[in-house]
Amino acid sequence: MAVNKSENTIMPNLAYERELNRWRNVLKIFTEPEPKMGHTPRVEVWRKNKSVLWHYPAKQRKFEIPLFFVYSLFNKPYILDVAPKTSVIEGLTNLGYEVYLLDWGTPGYEDKKIGLDTYIDKYLRTAVKRAIRHSGAEEITLVGYCLGGTIASIYASVADEPIKNLIVATVPIDFSAFIGPDKWAEGMRNGDLNIEHFIDVYGNIPPKFVEGMFRAIGAPIYFTNYTMLLHRAHDHRYVDKWRRMNKWTLDQVPFAGEAYRQLSTDLFKDNKLVKGEIVIGNKQADLKNIKANLFVISGSRDNLILEEQSKPIMDLVSSEDKTYIVVETGHVGLALSGLFAKIVDQWAASRSEPLN
Amino acid sequence: MPDNNKTYDPFETLHKFSLLWEKQINDFIYLWTNNNEFVKAANLGTELHSRYLESMKKNQEALASVLNLPTKSDVTNVANLTIQAEEKIEALEEQLWDLQDSVKVQAKEIEGVVEVSKDIIKLTKQLKTELVKTKKELTDTKNLHEELQEMKFEIMKLAGFKEELEALRSLMEKDPAHELTGAGTSK
Repeated sequence: MAVNKSENTIMPNLAYERELNRWRNVLKIFTEPEPKMGHTPRVEVWRKNKSVLWHYPAKQRKFEIPLFFVYSLFNKPYILDVAPKTSVIEGLTNLGYEVYLLDWGTPGYEDKKIGLDTYIDKYLRTAVKRAIRHSGAEEITLVGYCLGGTIASIYASVADEPIKNLIVATVPIDFSAFIGPDKWAEGMRNGDLNIEHFIDVYGNIPPKFVEGMFRAIGAPIYFTNYTMLLHRAHDHRYVDKWRRMNKWTLDQVPFAGEAYRQLSTDLFKDNKLVKGEIVIGNKQADLKNIKANLFVISGSRDNLILEEQSKPIMDLVSSEDKTYIVVETGHVGLALSGLFAKIVDQWAASRSEPLN
Repeated sequence: MPDNNKTYDPFETLHKFSLLWEKQINDFIYLWTNNNEFVKAANLGTELHSRYLESMKKNQEALASVLNLPTKSDVTNVANLTIQAEEKIEALEEQLWDLQDSVKVQAKEIEGVVEVSKDIIKLTKQLKTELVKTKKELTDTKNLHEELQEMKFEIMKLAGFKEELEALRSLMEKDPAHELTGAGTSK
Protein backbone atom coordinates (compact mmCIF):
# COMPACT_ATOMS: atom_id res chain seq x y z
CA MET A 1 0.00 0.00 0.00
CA ALA A 2 2.21 2.72 -1.25
CA VAL A 3 1.27 6.40 -1.33
CA ASN A 4 2.03 7.95 -4.69
CA LYS A 5 4.42 10.80 -4.57
CA SER A 6 3.45 13.80 -6.61
CA GLU A 7 6.28 15.53 -8.34
CA ASN A 8 5.87 18.63 -6.15
CA THR A 9 5.91 16.81 -2.83
CA ILE A 10 9.13 16.41 -0.94
CA MET A 11 7.73 13.59 1.21
CA PRO A 12 9.04 10.24 -0.03
CA ASN A 13 6.83 7.26 -0.81
CA LEU A 14 6.34 5.14 2.27
CA ALA A 15 5.01 1.59 2.20
CA TYR A 16 2.83 1.98 5.27
CA GLU A 17 1.93 -1.70 5.49
CA ARG A 18 5.59 -2.62 5.41
CA GLU A 19 6.34 -0.03 8.11
CA LEU A 20 3.55 -1.44 10.25
CA ASN A 21 4.93 -4.95 9.82
CA ARG A 22 8.40 -3.69 10.66
CA TRP A 23 7.40 -2.25 14.01
CA ARG A 24 5.02 -5.09 14.77
CA ASN A 25 7.90 -7.55 14.34
CA VAL A 26 10.28 -5.37 16.37
CA LEU A 27 7.72 -5.24 19.15
CA LYS A 28 7.38 -9.02 19.01
CA ILE A 29 11.10 -9.38 19.76
CA PHE A 30 10.51 -7.78 23.15
CA THR A 31 7.16 -9.36 23.94
CA GLU A 32 7.24 -12.87 22.52
CA PRO A 33 9.27 -15.70 24.07
CA GLU A 34 12.57 -16.63 22.51
CA PRO A 35 12.40 -19.08 19.59
CA LYS A 36 12.82 -22.73 20.48
CA MET A 37 16.02 -24.36 19.28
CA GLY A 38 16.86 -28.01 18.94
CA HIS A 39 13.60 -29.35 17.55
CA THR A 40 14.91 -32.54 15.89
CA PRO A 41 13.88 -35.62 17.94
CA ARG A 42 16.79 -37.06 19.88
CA VAL A 43 17.60 -39.48 22.67
CA GLU A 44 20.34 -39.36 25.27
CA VAL A 45 22.83 -42.19 24.82
CA TRP A 46 25.46 -41.37 27.40
CA ARG A 47 26.25 -38.66 29.92
CA LYS A 48 29.42 -37.82 31.77
CA ASN A 49 29.95 -34.80 33.98
CA LYS A 50 28.27 -32.05 31.93
CA SER A 51 28.76 -33.69 28.54
CA VAL A 52 25.94 -35.52 26.81
CA LEU A 53 25.98 -37.78 23.77
CA TRP A 54 22.79 -37.35 21.75
CA HIS A 55 21.44 -39.64 19.09
CA TYR A 56 19.27 -38.28 16.30
CA PRO A 57 17.70 -41.29 14.57
CA ALA A 58 17.46 -41.29 10.79
CA LYS A 59 13.97 -40.86 9.39
CA GLN A 60 14.65 -43.93 7.29
CA ARG A 61 18.13 -45.35 7.66
CA LYS A 62 19.88 -45.38 4.32
CA PHE A 63 23.52 -45.56 5.40
CA GLU A 64 25.33 -48.08 7.55
CA ILE A 65 28.00 -45.68 8.84
CA PRO A 66 26.70 -43.01 11.25
CA LEU A 67 27.86 -39.40 11.50
CA PHE A 68 29.39 -38.21 14.76
CA PHE A 69 29.44 -34.43 15.28
CA VAL A 70 32.14 -32.79 17.37
CA TYR A 71 31.36 -29.14 17.98
CA SER A 72 33.55 -26.31 19.23
CA LEU A 73 34.20 -25.72 22.93
CA PHE A 74 33.48 -22.00 22.53
CA ASN A 75 29.77 -22.10 21.73
CA LYS A 76 26.73 -24.25 22.22
CA PRO A 77 26.13 -26.84 19.51
CA TYR A 78 22.45 -26.06 18.93
CA ILE A 79 23.52 -23.97 15.95
CA LEU A 80 23.54 -27.35 14.16
CA ASP A 81 19.84 -27.73 14.91
CA VAL A 82 18.89 -24.09 14.90
CA ALA A 83 15.56 -24.00 13.05
CA PRO A 84 13.21 -26.33 11.20
CA LYS A 85 14.09 -26.73 7.50
CA THR A 86 17.51 -25.08 7.91
CA SER A 87 18.78 -27.45 10.58
CA VAL A 88 21.94 -29.32 9.60
CA ILE A 89 21.08 -32.30 11.80
CA GLU A 90 17.47 -32.45 10.61
CA GLY A 91 18.68 -32.31 7.02
CA LEU A 92 21.04 -35.23 7.55
CA THR A 93 18.52 -37.39 9.39
CA ASN A 94 16.04 -36.75 6.58
CA LEU A 95 18.68 -37.92 4.12
CA GLY A 96 18.96 -41.21 5.99
CA TYR A 97 21.98 -40.75 8.27
CA GLU A 98 22.12 -41.80 11.90
CA VAL A 99 23.54 -38.72 13.62
CA TYR A 100 25.34 -38.49 16.96
CA LEU A 101 26.32 -35.23 18.62
CA LEU A 102 28.62 -34.78 21.56
CA ASP A 103 27.49 -31.74 23.52
CA TRP A 104 30.43 -30.74 25.73
CA GLY A 105 28.10 -28.96 28.14
CA THR A 106 28.84 -25.89 30.21
CA PRO A 107 31.95 -26.33 32.34
CA GLY A 108 31.78 -25.19 35.95
CA TYR A 109 34.57 -24.06 38.26
CA GLU A 110 35.17 -27.71 39.16
CA ASP A 111 36.08 -28.44 35.52
CA LYS A 112 38.96 -25.96 35.39
CA LYS A 113 41.51 -28.77 35.14
CA ILE A 114 39.94 -30.39 32.10
CA GLY A 115 42.43 -30.01 29.29
CA LEU A 116 42.13 -30.78 25.59
CA ASP A 117 43.81 -34.15 26.26
CA THR A 118 41.15 -35.02 28.86
CA TYR A 119 38.36 -33.88 26.57
CA ILE A 120 39.73 -36.08 23.80
CA ASP A 121 40.85 -39.11 25.78
CA LYS A 122 38.14 -39.35 28.41
CA TYR A 123 35.13 -37.74 26.78
CA LEU A 124 35.36 -37.92 23.00
CA ARG A 125 36.93 -41.40 22.84
CA THR A 126 34.30 -42.87 25.17
CA ALA A 127 31.50 -41.10 23.32
CA VAL A 128 32.70 -42.48 19.97
CA LYS A 129 32.88 -46.00 21.46
CA ARG A 130 29.33 -45.60 22.77
CA ALA A 131 28.07 -44.30 19.43
CA ILE A 132 29.63 -47.21 17.54
CA ARG A 133 28.10 -49.71 19.97
CA HIS A 134 24.74 -47.93 19.98
CA SER A 135 24.52 -47.77 16.19
CA GLY A 136 25.67 -51.36 15.68
CA ALA A 137 27.98 -50.10 12.93
CA GLU A 138 31.53 -51.29 12.39
CA GLU A 139 32.90 -47.83 11.54
CA ILE A 140 32.05 -44.17 12.05
CA THR A 141 32.35 -40.79 10.34
CA LEU A 142 33.67 -37.90 12.44
CA VAL A 143 32.40 -34.42 11.60
CA GLY A 144 34.21 -31.54 13.30
CA TYR A 145 33.12 -27.93 13.09
CA CYS A 146 35.47 -25.02 13.91
CA LEU A 147 37.54 -25.92 17.01
CA GLY A 148 35.56 -29.18 17.06
CA GLY A 149 37.36 -29.96 13.79
CA THR A 150 40.73 -29.42 15.47
CA ILE A 151 39.68 -31.70 18.33
CA ALA A 152 38.33 -34.32 15.91
CA SER A 153 41.59 -34.22 13.91
CA ILE A 154 43.73 -34.63 17.03
CA TYR A 155 41.54 -37.51 18.16
CA ALA A 156 41.61 -39.15 14.72
CA SER A 157 45.41 -39.13 14.87
CA VAL A 158 45.47 -41.15 18.12
CA ALA A 159 42.25 -43.15 17.77
CA ASP A 160 42.10 -46.93 18.07
CA GLU A 161 38.44 -46.79 17.13
CA PRO A 162 37.50 -47.45 13.48
CA ILE A 163 37.12 -44.01 11.89
CA LYS A 164 36.25 -44.38 8.25
CA ASN A 165 35.77 -40.72 7.30
CA LEU A 166 36.88 -37.42 8.78
CA ILE A 167 35.01 -34.25 7.80
CA VAL A 168 36.24 -30.90 9.11
CA ALA A 169 34.69 -27.52 8.41
CA THR A 170 36.14 -24.05 9.06
CA VAL A 171 38.87 -25.75 11.06
CA PRO A 172 41.99 -24.12 12.52
CA ILE A 173 44.95 -26.49 12.07
CA ASP A 174 47.90 -24.19 11.37
CA PHE A 175 47.91 -21.48 14.03
CA SER A 176 50.78 -19.53 12.50
CA ALA A 177 48.20 -17.53 10.54
CA PHE A 178 45.92 -15.26 12.59
CA ILE A 179 43.08 -13.01 11.49
CA GLY A 180 43.36 -10.56 14.43
CA PRO A 181 45.90 -7.78 15.05
CA ASP A 182 49.36 -9.13 14.27
CA LYS A 183 51.04 -7.37 17.23
CA TRP A 184 48.71 -9.24 19.60
CA ALA A 185 49.72 -12.54 18.06
CA GLU A 186 53.36 -11.50 18.28
CA GLY A 187 52.90 -10.46 21.92
CA MET A 188 51.33 -13.81 22.81
CA ARG A 189 54.12 -15.70 21.08
CA ASN A 190 57.01 -13.78 22.62
CA GLY A 191 55.46 -13.62 26.09
CA ASP A 192 54.61 -9.89 26.16
CA LEU A 193 50.97 -10.89 26.60
CA ASN A 194 50.74 -13.65 29.15
CA ILE A 195 47.40 -14.87 30.46
CA GLU A 196 48.64 -17.80 32.58
CA HIS A 197 48.03 -15.98 35.85
CA PHE A 198 44.63 -14.81 34.65
CA ILE A 199 43.62 -18.42 33.87
CA ASP A 200 44.93 -19.63 37.25
CA VAL A 201 42.90 -17.06 39.14
CA TYR A 202 39.67 -17.42 37.17
CA GLY A 203 39.81 -21.19 36.77
CA ASN A 204 37.62 -21.07 33.68
CA ILE A 205 37.49 -18.27 31.14
CA PRO A 206 34.12 -16.57 31.79
CA PRO A 207 31.67 -16.39 28.84
CA LYS A 208 31.90 -12.59 28.70
CA PHE A 209 35.65 -12.81 28.19
CA VAL A 210 35.18 -15.45 25.49
CA GLU A 211 32.70 -13.14 23.77
CA GLY A 212 35.06 -10.21 24.23
CA MET A 213 37.93 -12.17 22.72
CA PHE A 214 35.96 -12.94 19.56
CA ARG A 215 34.79 -9.34 19.36
CA ALA A 216 38.35 -8.07 19.77
CA ILE A 217 39.58 -10.31 16.95
CA GLY A 218 36.75 -9.57 14.53
CA ALA A 219 34.90 -6.33 15.22
CA PRO A 220 35.26 -4.74 18.68
CA ILE A 221 32.36 -2.41 17.95
CA TYR A 222 29.41 -4.21 16.47
CA PHE A 223 26.00 -2.62 16.00
CA THR A 224 25.18 -3.18 12.33
CA ASN A 225 23.28 -6.32 13.27
CA TYR A 226 20.70 -4.06 14.92
CA THR A 227 20.47 -1.63 12.00
CA MET A 228 20.22 -4.61 9.65
CA LEU A 229 17.35 -5.90 11.80
CA LEU A 230 15.58 -2.53 11.59
CA HIS A 231 16.15 -2.44 7.86
CA ARG A 232 14.63 -5.90 7.28
CA ALA A 233 12.26 -6.16 10.24
CA HIS A 234 9.20 -6.14 7.94
CA ASP A 235 10.17 -9.68 6.87
CA HIS A 236 9.10 -11.99 9.73
CA ARG A 237 11.29 -14.85 8.40
CA TYR A 238 14.36 -12.65 8.63
CA VAL A 239 13.38 -11.53 12.13
CA ASP A 240 13.00 -15.15 13.23
CA LYS A 241 16.40 -16.05 11.77
CA TRP A 242 17.96 -12.94 13.35
CA ARG A 243 16.55 -13.82 16.76
CA ARG A 244 17.92 -17.35 16.57
CA MET A 245 21.34 -16.15 15.46
CA ASN A 246 21.38 -13.39 18.07
CA LYS A 247 20.45 -15.80 20.85
CA TRP A 248 23.15 -18.25 19.82
CA THR A 249 25.82 -15.53 19.45
CA LEU A 250 25.18 -14.20 22.94
CA ASP A 251 24.85 -17.67 24.46
CA GLN A 252 28.55 -18.27 25.09
CA VAL A 253 29.90 -20.93 27.43
CA PRO A 254 32.83 -20.66 29.83
CA PHE A 255 36.03 -22.25 28.55
CA ALA A 256 37.72 -24.78 30.83
CA GLY A 257 40.94 -23.16 32.12
CA GLU A 258 43.39 -25.97 31.34
CA ALA A 259 41.95 -26.46 27.87
CA TYR A 260 42.32 -22.71 27.22
CA ARG A 261 45.91 -22.78 28.46
CA GLN A 262 46.69 -25.63 26.05
CA LEU A 263 44.87 -23.86 23.24
CA SER A 264 46.83 -20.66 23.72
CA THR A 265 50.19 -22.25 24.55
CA ASP A 266 50.41 -25.57 22.69
CA LEU A 267 48.30 -24.71 19.68
CA PHE A 268 48.52 -20.93 19.20
CA LYS A 269 51.95 -20.10 20.61
CA ASP A 270 53.93 -23.25 19.77
CA ASN A 271 51.79 -24.48 16.84
CA LYS A 272 52.35 -28.04 18.08
CA LEU A 273 49.58 -29.65 16.03
CA VAL A 274 51.30 -28.94 12.74
CA LYS A 275 54.62 -30.11 14.22
CA GLY A 276 53.04 -33.32 15.53
CA GLU A 277 54.13 -32.60 19.09
CA ILE A 278 50.81 -32.79 20.94
CA VAL A 279 50.52 -35.72 23.35
CA ILE A 280 47.16 -37.29 24.19
CA GLY A 281 47.33 -39.92 26.92
CA ASN A 282 50.61 -41.63 26.09
CA LYS A 283 50.32 -41.19 22.35
CA GLN A 284 51.78 -38.54 20.11
CA ALA A 285 49.08 -36.84 18.06
CA ASP A 286 50.74 -36.68 14.68
CA LEU A 287 48.33 -35.86 11.86
CA LYS A 288 50.22 -38.21 9.54
CA ASN A 289 48.65 -41.07 11.53
CA ILE A 290 45.30 -40.16 9.94
CA LYS A 291 44.43 -42.61 7.19
CA ALA A 292 40.67 -42.03 7.14
CA ASN A 293 39.04 -40.46 4.08
CA LEU A 294 39.31 -36.71 4.57
CA PHE A 295 36.98 -33.88 3.55
CA VAL A 296 37.90 -30.28 4.40
CA ILE A 297 35.53 -27.33 3.95
CA SER A 298 36.53 -23.67 4.18
CA GLY A 299 34.37 -20.56 3.92
CA SER A 300 35.52 -17.86 1.53
CA ARG A 301 33.83 -15.22 3.71
CA ASP A 302 34.98 -16.68 7.02
CA ASN A 303 36.07 -13.76 9.22
CA LEU A 304 37.43 -15.98 11.98
CA ILE A 305 39.31 -18.90 10.43
CA LEU A 306 41.43 -18.24 7.38
CA GLU A 307 41.85 -20.68 4.52
CA GLU A 308 45.57 -20.79 5.30
CA GLN A 309 44.70 -22.21 8.71
CA SER A 310 42.64 -25.10 7.33
CA LYS A 311 44.39 -26.07 4.11
CA PRO A 312 47.68 -27.39 5.61
CA ILE A 313 45.87 -30.47 6.94
CA MET A 314 45.71 -31.74 3.35
CA ASP A 315 49.48 -32.23 3.26
CA LEU A 316 49.83 -33.40 6.85
CA VAL A 317 47.60 -36.50 6.76
CA SER A 318 48.34 -39.88 5.17
CA SER A 319 44.83 -40.30 3.75
CA GLU A 320 44.68 -41.41 0.13
CA ASP A 321 41.14 -40.15 -0.41
CA LYS A 322 41.14 -36.44 0.48
CA THR A 323 39.06 -33.53 -0.77
CA TYR A 324 39.27 -29.80 -0.11
CA ILE A 325 36.57 -27.32 -1.07
CA VAL A 326 35.91 -23.63 -0.51
CA VAL A 327 32.28 -22.62 -0.09
CA GLU A 328 30.93 -19.10 -0.62
CA THR A 329 29.87 -18.60 3.00
CA GLY A 330 30.93 -17.24 6.38
CA HIS A 331 32.07 -18.97 9.56
CA VAL A 332 28.60 -19.55 10.98
CA GLY A 333 26.61 -19.26 7.74
CA LEU A 334 27.56 -22.78 6.72
CA ALA A 335 25.69 -24.19 9.71
CA LEU A 336 23.02 -21.50 9.99
CA SER A 337 21.79 -21.91 6.43
CA GLY A 338 21.69 -25.71 6.59
CA LEU A 339 24.00 -25.82 3.55
CA PHE A 340 26.43 -27.93 5.53
CA ALA A 341 24.04 -30.93 5.45
CA LYS A 342 23.94 -30.95 1.64
CA ILE A 343 27.71 -30.57 1.34
CA VAL A 344 28.33 -33.39 3.83
CA ASP A 345 25.84 -35.65 2.05
CA GLN A 346 27.35 -35.06 -1.38
CA TRP A 347 30.73 -36.27 -0.16
CA ALA A 348 29.76 -38.82 2.48
CA ALA A 349 26.95 -40.66 0.68
CA SER A 350 29.25 -42.90 -1.34
CA ARG A 351 31.59 -43.39 1.62
CA SER A 352 28.98 -44.37 4.23
CA GLU A 353 28.04 -47.84 2.96
CA PRO A 354 24.57 -47.16 1.51
CA LEU A 355 21.99 -49.76 2.54
CA ASN A 356 19.94 -51.37 -0.21
CA MET B 1 12.95 10.38 -14.35
CA PRO B 2 12.31 9.22 -10.79
CA ASP B 3 10.68 5.84 -10.21
CA ASN B 4 7.37 6.60 -8.52
CA ASN B 5 6.74 2.93 -7.66
CA LYS B 6 9.88 2.64 -5.55
CA THR B 7 9.07 3.19 -1.90
CA TYR B 8 11.32 4.81 0.60
CA ASP B 9 12.91 2.67 3.31
CA PRO B 10 14.14 5.00 6.06
CA PHE B 11 16.38 2.31 7.57
CA GLU B 12 18.19 1.40 4.42
CA THR B 13 20.26 4.57 4.60
CA LEU B 14 20.74 4.16 8.33
CA HIS B 15 22.07 0.66 7.78
CA LYS B 16 24.41 1.80 5.03
CA PHE B 17 25.78 4.56 7.24
CA SER B 18 26.06 2.23 10.23
CA LEU B 19 28.15 -0.18 8.15
CA LEU B 20 30.43 2.68 7.24
CA TRP B 21 30.70 3.98 10.80
CA GLU B 22 31.26 0.55 12.24
CA LYS B 23 34.06 -0.14 9.82
CA GLN B 24 35.68 3.23 10.49
CA ILE B 25 35.50 2.81 14.26
CA ASN B 26 36.86 -0.74 14.10
CA ASP B 27 39.66 0.28 11.77
CA PHE B 28 40.54 3.05 14.20
CA ILE B 29 40.53 0.61 17.13
CA TYR B 30 42.66 -1.78 15.12
CA LEU B 31 45.25 0.90 14.44
CA TRP B 32 45.07 2.12 18.04
CA THR B 33 45.60 -1.32 19.56
CA ASN B 34 47.85 -3.05 17.06
CA ASN B 35 51.16 -2.02 18.62
CA ASN B 36 53.57 -3.34 21.22
CA GLU B 37 52.78 -0.56 23.70
CA PHE B 38 49.09 -1.51 23.79
CA VAL B 39 49.95 -5.22 24.12
CA LYS B 40 52.26 -4.49 27.05
CA ALA B 41 49.67 -2.23 28.68
CA ALA B 42 47.00 -4.92 28.22
CA ASN B 43 49.34 -7.45 29.79
CA LEU B 44 49.96 -5.15 32.76
CA GLY B 45 46.23 -4.56 33.16
CA THR B 46 45.52 -8.30 33.05
CA GLU B 47 48.27 -8.99 35.59
CA LEU B 48 47.04 -6.31 37.98
CA HIS B 49 43.47 -7.53 37.66
CA SER B 50 44.57 -11.12 38.28
CA ARG B 51 46.60 -10.17 41.37
CA TYR B 52 43.73 -8.17 42.79
CA LEU B 53 41.34 -11.05 42.25
CA GLU B 54 43.84 -13.52 43.65
CA SER B 55 44.22 -11.58 46.90
CA MET B 56 40.42 -11.32 47.14
CA LYS B 57 40.12 -15.07 46.76
CA LYS B 58 42.82 -15.75 49.33
CA ASN B 59 41.09 -13.51 51.86
CA GLN B 60 37.77 -15.14 51.11
CA GLU B 61 39.26 -18.62 51.60
CA ALA B 62 40.88 -17.54 54.88
CA LEU B 63 37.64 -16.08 56.17
CA ALA B 64 35.61 -19.09 55.07
CA SER B 65 38.11 -21.37 56.80
CA VAL B 66 37.77 -19.46 60.09
CA LEU B 67 33.98 -19.49 59.88
CA ASN B 68 34.00 -23.12 58.76
CA LEU B 69 32.10 -22.28 55.61
CA PRO B 70 32.43 -24.33 52.44
CA THR B 71 33.94 -22.53 49.48
CA LYS B 72 33.85 -23.19 45.75
CA SER B 73 37.11 -25.12 46.11
CA ASP B 74 35.36 -27.53 48.50
CA VAL B 75 32.52 -27.91 46.02
CA THR B 76 35.15 -28.60 43.33
CA ASN B 77 36.64 -31.40 45.40
CA VAL B 78 33.24 -33.00 45.93
CA ALA B 79 32.39 -32.64 42.24
CA ASN B 80 35.69 -34.31 41.33
CA LEU B 81 34.76 -37.26 43.53
CA THR B 82 31.49 -37.58 41.65
CA ILE B 83 33.33 -37.51 38.33
CA GLN B 84 35.72 -40.18 39.61
CA ALA B 85 32.75 -42.33 40.61
CA GLU B 86 31.25 -41.76 37.16
CA GLU B 87 34.49 -42.87 35.53
CA LYS B 88 34.59 -46.01 37.67
CA ILE B 89 31.02 -46.89 36.74
CA GLU B 90 31.92 -46.25 33.13
CA ALA B 91 34.92 -48.58 33.38
CA LEU B 92 32.70 -51.24 34.97
CA GLU B 93 30.15 -50.79 32.23
CA GLU B 94 32.85 -51.27 29.61
CA GLN B 95 34.02 -54.41 31.39
CA LEU B 96 30.43 -55.63 31.32
CA TRP B 97 30.40 -54.97 27.59
CA ASP B 98 33.55 -57.06 27.21
CA LEU B 99 31.94 -59.81 29.25
CA GLN B 100 28.76 -59.61 27.19
CA ASP B 101 30.83 -59.78 24.03
CA SER B 102 32.83 -62.78 25.25
CA VAL B 103 29.63 -64.53 26.37
CA LYS B 104 28.19 -63.90 22.91
CA VAL B 105 31.35 -65.31 21.31
CA GLN B 106 31.24 -68.34 23.60
CA ALA B 107 27.55 -68.85 22.90
CA LYS B 108 28.35 -68.84 19.21
CA GLU B 109 31.16 -71.33 19.77
CA ILE B 110 28.83 -73.55 21.82
CA GLU B 111 26.26 -73.34 19.05
CA GLY B 112 28.99 -74.50 16.68
CA VAL B 113 29.90 -77.41 18.98
CA VAL B 114 26.22 -78.38 19.27
CA GLU B 115 25.93 -78.38 15.49
CA VAL B 116 29.01 -80.63 15.20
CA SER B 117 27.63 -82.91 17.96
CA LYS B 118 24.34 -83.20 16.08
CA ASP B 119 26.25 -84.28 13.01
CA ILE B 120 28.22 -86.81 15.06
CA ILE B 121 25.01 -88.23 16.57
CA LYS B 122 23.50 -88.51 13.14
CA LEU B 123 26.60 -90.26 11.86
CA THR B 124 26.65 -92.62 14.88
CA LYS B 125 23.03 -93.54 14.25
CA GLN B 126 23.84 -94.23 10.64
CA LEU B 127 26.80 -96.39 11.71
CA LYS B 128 24.60 -98.26 14.18
CA THR B 129 22.07 -99.00 11.49
CA GLU B 130 24.88 -100.14 9.25
CA LEU B 131 26.24 -102.32 12.06
CA VAL B 132 22.88 -103.98 12.70
CA LYS B 133 22.57 -104.58 9.00
CA THR B 134 26.06 -106.04 8.84
CA LYS B 135 25.36 -108.22 11.89
CA LYS B 136 22.25 -109.58 10.25
CA GLU B 137 24.18 -110.21 7.08
CA LEU B 138 26.87 -111.96 9.12
CA THR B 139 24.23 -114.26 10.68
CA ASP B 140 22.85 -115.01 7.26
CA THR B 141 26.36 -115.74 6.04
CA LYS B 142 26.88 -118.11 9.01
CA ASN B 143 23.66 -119.95 8.23
CA LEU B 144 24.71 -120.14 4.65
CA HIS B 145 28.07 -121.45 5.76
CA GLU B 146 26.42 -124.16 7.87
CA GLU B 147 24.16 -125.14 5.02
CA LEU B 148 27.18 -125.27 2.76
CA GLN B 149 28.92 -127.46 5.33
CA GLU B 150 25.93 -129.77 5.40
CA MET B 151 25.84 -129.79 1.65
CA LYS B 152 29.56 -130.57 1.62
CA PHE B 153 28.97 -133.38 4.06
CA GLU B 154 26.14 -134.71 1.89
CA ILE B 155 28.33 -134.42 -1.18
CA MET B 156 31.08 -136.26 0.66
CA LYS B 157 28.58 -138.92 1.61
CA LEU B 158 27.41 -139.09 -1.97
CA ALA B 159 31.02 -139.34 -3.09
CA GLY B 160 31.49 -142.38 -0.72
CA PHE B 161 28.33 -143.89 -2.06
CA LYS B 162 29.57 -143.32 -5.56
CA GLU B 163 32.86 -145.01 -4.71
CA GLU B 164 31.01 -148.06 -3.33
CA LEU B 165 28.92 -148.14 -6.45
CA GLU B 166 32.04 -147.86 -8.52
CA ALA B 167 33.60 -150.76 -6.58
CA LEU B 168 30.53 -152.84 -7.06
CA ARG B 169 30.45 -152.03 -10.66
CA SER B 170 34.09 -153.01 -11.12
CA LEU B 171 33.48 -156.26 -9.28
CA MET B 172 30.59 -157.00 -11.52
CA GLU B 173 32.61 -156.23 -14.58
CA LYS B 174 35.49 -158.54 -13.51
CA ASP B 175 33.51 -161.76 -13.04
CA PRO B 176 30.15 -161.50 -14.60
CA ALA B 177 29.74 -165.33 -15.54
CA HIS B 178 30.78 -166.64 -12.15
CA GLU B 179 28.51 -164.38 -10.49
CA LEU B 180 25.74 -165.27 -12.83
CA THR B 181 26.48 -169.02 -12.49
CA GLY B 182 26.89 -168.88 -8.86
CA ALA B 183 23.76 -167.05 -8.76
CA GLY B 184 21.94 -169.88 -10.61
CA THR B 185 23.74 -172.95 -8.99
CA SER B 186 22.52 -174.82 -6.00
CA LYS B 187 24.29 -177.70 -4.32
